[in-house]
Amino acid sequence: MADVAVVGSGLAGFTAYQTLRRGLEPGEIVVFGTDADPAAAWRARAAAIRQHAMRSESDGHCGPATFPGLALRSVLRRRSLKPLLETVSDRYHPTVEEFLDHVERTRERSGWDESFVPRRVGRVQARDDGFEIDGDRFRHVLLAPGHPGLNVPDELRQDVRAVHAYEPHEYASTVTVVGAGLAAATEWLNALAAGAEVVSVRRHEPARRPLNVPREYFSRRGLGAFHRLPPHERIERLHALSAPSYPAGREWDEPLEQARLEGRFRVEASLNGSAQVICATGFLPGWRNDPLLARLVADHDLETAGDWVVLDPDSTVPTLSDRVRTLALAGAPGQWAFPAADTLAGARYAGHQFLRRIKACRTR
Amino acid sequence: MSYTLKGRIESRLAALLPVLLGCCVLAIALRHWWPVELCALMAAVGLVLDVQVWHRLFRYQSAWVILPLGLVELGLVLAIVYGAGLHAPLGPALLLFAVGWLVAFVLTQAGYPLLRLSYAEDGGELGRAGGVAAAGVLLVLVGSAATWYVRQPPVVHLAAGVHQGPIVIRRREVLQGSPGAVVKGGIVVAHDDVHIRDVTVLGGQNGIDVENVDGTVLDGVTVQGAKLDGIHVRSAGIVIKNCTIDMLGNKIGQGIDISFNMDMGMSMVEGCTIVGGMQGITTHSSMTDIMDNRVSRTTGQAISVAEMSMGMAMDNEVRDALGVGLNCDDQSMCMFEHNTVIGTQPDTASGDPSRRGVAILASFYSEASLWQNRLVANPVATGAITSSLFRWTHDPGW
Repeated sequence: MADVAVVGSGLAGFTAYQTLRRGLEPGEIVVFGTDADPAAAWRARAAAIRQHAMRSESDGHCGPATFPGLALRSVLRRRSLKPLLETVSDRYHPTVEEFLDHVERTRERSGWDESFVPRRVGRVQARDDGFEIDGDRFRHVLLAPGHPGLNVPDELRQDVRAVHAYEPHEYASTVTVVGAGLAAATEWLNALAAGAEVVSVRRHEPARRPLNVPREYFSRRGLGAFHRLPPHERIERLHALSAPSYPAGREWDEPLEQARLEGRFRVEASLNGSAQVICATGFLPGWRNDPLLARLVADHDLETAGDWVVLDPDSTVPTLSDRVRTLALAGAPGQWAFPAADTLAGARYAGHQFLRRIKACRTR
Repeated sequence: MSYTLKGRIESRLAALLPVLLGCCVLAIALRHWWPVELCALMAAVGLVLDVQVWHRLFRYQSAWVILPLGLVELGLVLAIVYGAGLHAPLGPALLLFAVGWLVAFVLTQAGYPLLRLSYAEDGGELGRAGGVAAAGVLLVLVGSAATWYVRQPPVVHLAAGVHQGPIVIRRREVLQGSPGAVVKGGIVVAHDDVHIRDVTVLGGQNGIDVENVDGTVLDGVTVQGAKLDGIHVRSAGIVIKNCTIDMLGNKIGQGIDISFNMDMGMSMVEGCTIVGGMQGITTHSSMTDIMDNRVSRTTGQAISVAEMSMGMAMDNEVRDALGVGLNCDDQSMCMFEHNTVIGTQPDTASGDPSRRGVAILASFYSEASLWQNRLVANPVATGAITSSLFRWTHDPGW
């Protein structure tokens, strides 16, 4: 029987799996999930907002190490040095097509399908020497349940005009986009390109930065200070970092400015009479919205702080991880340890830390 | 990449380690210390900048930033190298720095992430490997310093008074003359890495004879009354500084004659005063820099770069030479810059038209580049004969 289980077969679980493969064979890892294609959910969302390029950079991939990045692969594929030159100045962003191709190739050669078991896990229970997942026992478990669902504001739930940005949709002649993050910005441009008149409804002005969170939070330099914050300050910091943002650049600003001059784009404080309302409002936040995590917290009386399960800096659940067993969270639920946990880099971080714990386990 | 300070230092030292080991191998092969000195300097400059500047300046560092940072570090390293007189040759020094830079770039972008999966998340920290690398660098540098110290030649103090020569030096040593120390009959250097300082030599066939050895340094020596050459160098690498050579009355000898050492790298004659002799300073088949010397009253040529030599004569002062002041002869390539040649006398007795008191002469397929030389009261300023040429600068200086 395998010692290690990954619960969740999306990109976070898939990325963590690639790291685990550096130390384990496919037969030693079980991946529980509902879809064998790790990009299935993400692909649908990217298609819904007609995303062509990734926000992430060359290292935004599922491999266990930052090198080789997607830029180098792109050099080989395009037979051009341009991606390499762009990546040294952080201006390379892989296309969605390149990213999905990378996922597919990685899936084929990593043994992912050998480890995959189609099962929706409903409960994870701690035992003395490991964890029980729907009757099976494992010493080390990494939970990567993904986002618990799409976030639609309460006042729009019954509104027939409303559609979430990550659901398939076309554009009406007048569109209101709620939200101000990357998905919202993408939808502004999409709707304008479709000839619509666009209204942006937002509570806060979006931050303009290249990645989801400032770059220092991707390394120990920023993480060290973050981990030292007392809980209430860490909650505040996470809320601040979760505020909407999208990258700076002419490709965003010029079409919007042009549309503004033409009277086709404006910002308003509340909904108006648009024919269509697109909710670019992300995902349901927090462990309470995830049945698996909510049950885990309840079963084991885990410490929480606001929307987050309290984790050690290595993304493990402190009370359920020791020298013989490990329970770690990857993806969005891992933000208490890594603010950018819902990125590929975040999933890689959780995978690295998880593998480190497994290697240090005295029973191995 | 957002480096922690520890990560920045560990990454640098780990990248430096293979370069440093290469420097040690190079130093052994070349039998010179400059590669190790250069590597140590690269480490020191890099670490100081890491701690004092780069870490504070860059919370996040794009990959391209390593290029301007490398150029800044290169500038500082070169400034210190040449400011402190480490005598590292420019070309190899640049090459070594470039290799070090390239190794660091490849390691930080590819090598470290592959060897340590969490390299980026760890802010460049390398875990145990970082400590091992730092210890390795320290060990190599301390080992090199210890080797340098142990290999320092013994110092032999020559007491004041006259010592009967010739003295033949057959081991590595520093011969340090006390004030008033005189060797009568000459000194023969017969071993590598001999330094002679502050010694006066009287007589001898050659005042100081240096043949088939390397690493000789003559500093502050005085030579008088040699029968042939004041300082005679054959197939030997040498640095001569601050010497005084009196060749008055010697019509066949040279003040300093450095010949047939092209394969020994650069030699140097600097800050010497030479009076009399047929040639004040002459080189044959040699690469020698002749700088800041004062040569006067020679009967052949004051300074001669001859017989397929390549060399620079710069900031020298030549006075009252008979026939020719500066000479570039016999398929040599010479650079004459900022020299002063005053009062060259015509050698009418020789009947040689090329010796009509020429300040700068190029002869027999030679090529001389001139830059801002000061030529005063010479019957002929310049002459190029027998298929030779001057590369005229736009401001030749007269």
